[in-house]
Amino acid sequence: MRSVTRLLKKVPPVLWVVLAMVVVFSCFSKNYFTIRNLVVLLQQGSVLLVISAAATFVIISGGLDLSLGAIMTLSGVIAALAVNAGLPVPLVFLAGALTGSLCGALNGTLIAVADMKPFIATLGVQGVLYGFSLALTNKEGIHVSNETFIFFGDLVNRFIPMAAISCAIIFIAAIFVQNHTLLGRYTFAIGGNAEGAKLSGVNTTFWKWLVYVFAGFLAGLGGVVLVARLEVADPIVGTQWEFEAIAATILGGTSMRIGKGDVQGTIIGVMLITIVRSGLNVIRVPSVWQPAIIGTTIIISIVFQVWISSKKEGV
Amino acid sequence: MSSYFGSRSESRTEILSALGRFGALVVLIIVGSIVSEVFLSSRNISNIITNASVMIIMGVGQTIAIITNGPDLSAGSIMTICAVVAAILVKTVGIFFPVAILIALALGIFLGFINGYMIAKVGIPSFISTYGLQWAVFGFAYVILRGYVIYDFPANFRFIGNGYLFSVIPMPIVIMVIVVITGIFLLNKTTVGRCLFAVGSNSVSANMSGVDTSKTVFQAFIISGALSALAGVVLIARINAVQADIGRNYLLPVIATVFMGGTSPTGGQGTIIGTVIGAIIITIVQNIMNLLAVPSVWRDAIIGLLIIVTVLVDIIVKKRISNIKIATV
Repeated sequence: MRSVTRLLKKVPPVLWVVLAMVVVFSCFSKNYFTIRNLVVLLQQGSVLLVISAAATFVIISGGLDLSLGAIMTLSGVIAALAVNAGLPVPLVFLAGALTGSLCGALNGTLIAVADMKPFIATLGVQGVLYGFSLALTNKEGIHVSNETFIFFGDLVNRFIPMAAISCAIIFIAAIFVQNHTLLGRYTFAIGGNAEGAKLSGVNTTFWKWLVYVFAGFLAGLGGVVLVARLEVADPIVGTQWEFEAIAATILGGTSMRIGKGDVQGTIIGVMLITIVRSGLNVIRVPSVWQPAIIGTTIIISIVFQVWISSKKEGV
Repeated sequence: MSSYFGSRSESRTEILSALGRFGALVVLIIVGSIVSEVFLSSRNISNIITNASVMIIMGVGQTIAIITNGPDLSAGSIMTICAVVAAILVKTVGIFFPVAILIALALGIFLGFINGYMIAKVGIPSFISTYGLQWAVFGFAYVILRGYVIYDFPANFRFIGNGYLFSVIPMPIVIMVIVVITGIFLLNKTTVGRCLFAVGSNSVSANMSGVDTSKTVFQAFIISGALSALAGVVLIARINAVQADIGRNYLLPVIATVFMGGTSPTGGQGTIIGTVIGAIIITIVQNIMNLLAVPSVWRDAIIGLLIIVTVLVDIIVKKRISNIKIATV
């Protein structure tokens, strides 16, 4: 019995909120707690999971990336242009990933090499990248119709969530990088104690740079999958995504101050955001109200999360 | 007197970067007059300064927030919702306009208080908490106004935006000057100002020497919220219309304004006069973009690039100077 309570205490508070919401929404609609809806939720939440993994890496390293939504958007636009130009699908994914990595390299250079504050550099880059995606699309969405490409984001036979599967592969790769590579190890080292890492011979400038490149790479791939799922590349689709990604990271228990946390924990944060979003439709909240309610819910849950965790850490 | 703990190398850096800003201003004016013959017309100049006024009013608040703790990234959204509320009170409800303005300001103060609470009491860094709050606030502005536009306000309300004091000076400029003078006085001549600088340069040591740091952070973000609200009210009185995303295009330029004015991103250092010059530079850039008919898609990109370049140049100049200092020692 005691071991059960100990186990229960280990469950992050956010997970209780998630469970409570599932129960509430299930009461409202008998279609909510079904395999079919679960599949839809997986489709909707999967790209956010990839972007959030990117945000988690950056935040563990002690940084911040407000340009992730813009990177995702621009990479999606480039991917759509590549598809419509008739490039083979692997090259399309490569183009998206490369775009993301280049944007990340720009962030990394400004932050790690030139020593700019992350919020300034990435806010400026955000503006620049949206400029590019608006100019490339002429302010309108680019439709894609290549069957092979769309497959990677499709809900095949209305049951197999390919977007979720694609994103799961990317996400597992991110976990692998976190646990089994130098990049993963140094991300924690730099976030925990950059000075100490530097003194013990780690080239902190390079690894910090690489963290932003990797985040851009992930966001780029996420952008490609999003275009495959929506079948359109919208030039401002990423607005607010960077914040939801940061929120998911914080709700997942990653600390902004001490290089603690992990990519896996972020899943819970993404679940919460996705469930709130879909739940509002289930209980038929008018769409005008949704941005306000989602924004308020996220900010309140961040406040609680930070409040609870700082109590635990005794800061 | 711009820094609480000033030193000689710092003042040298400041003189250099002030020269740089002034140079940039002169170059822009020359570019503007080459680009278009209307640029130096008195009408265009008065237009630039009036446009800059809204940015300066917001910029003063932003400068104070950045000096003390960090950016107030919710400024654009606070501006929006306060403008929307003021518009509805004046136009739809028909409240006497000073009351409507006071209510809008109170809302700005309230939102600034929420920012202060999240930053000082909960401990969420300002660039996350204020960035997050803006989405909720934009959401509520959208709830209130939907996709509609409210326009054609009563003449007495519009006076604060398009009226003239003594039938010469545009009202936005009058309000801006009052805000600037009050801000300079507050920062340099009062205990509150000293505390703002002290908390910004080193919050821990400020706390140890008896400054109530959390109260100071609250003050900074409340000021920023109130001034964003004021800017919103002046803006809609000037353009005589409001919609639910009116402040969306103000955040990047205002941040650019503050850094262009030489305020340090690390806090504890900055001047309001710098922000005034920064705002005029940014407004001239926007004005030239208008005159050149630069496509709207590139405008945010250019402002974003300006932010990056300004801060980058600042960092490089400071590094150079500290290297020289080491070499001479």
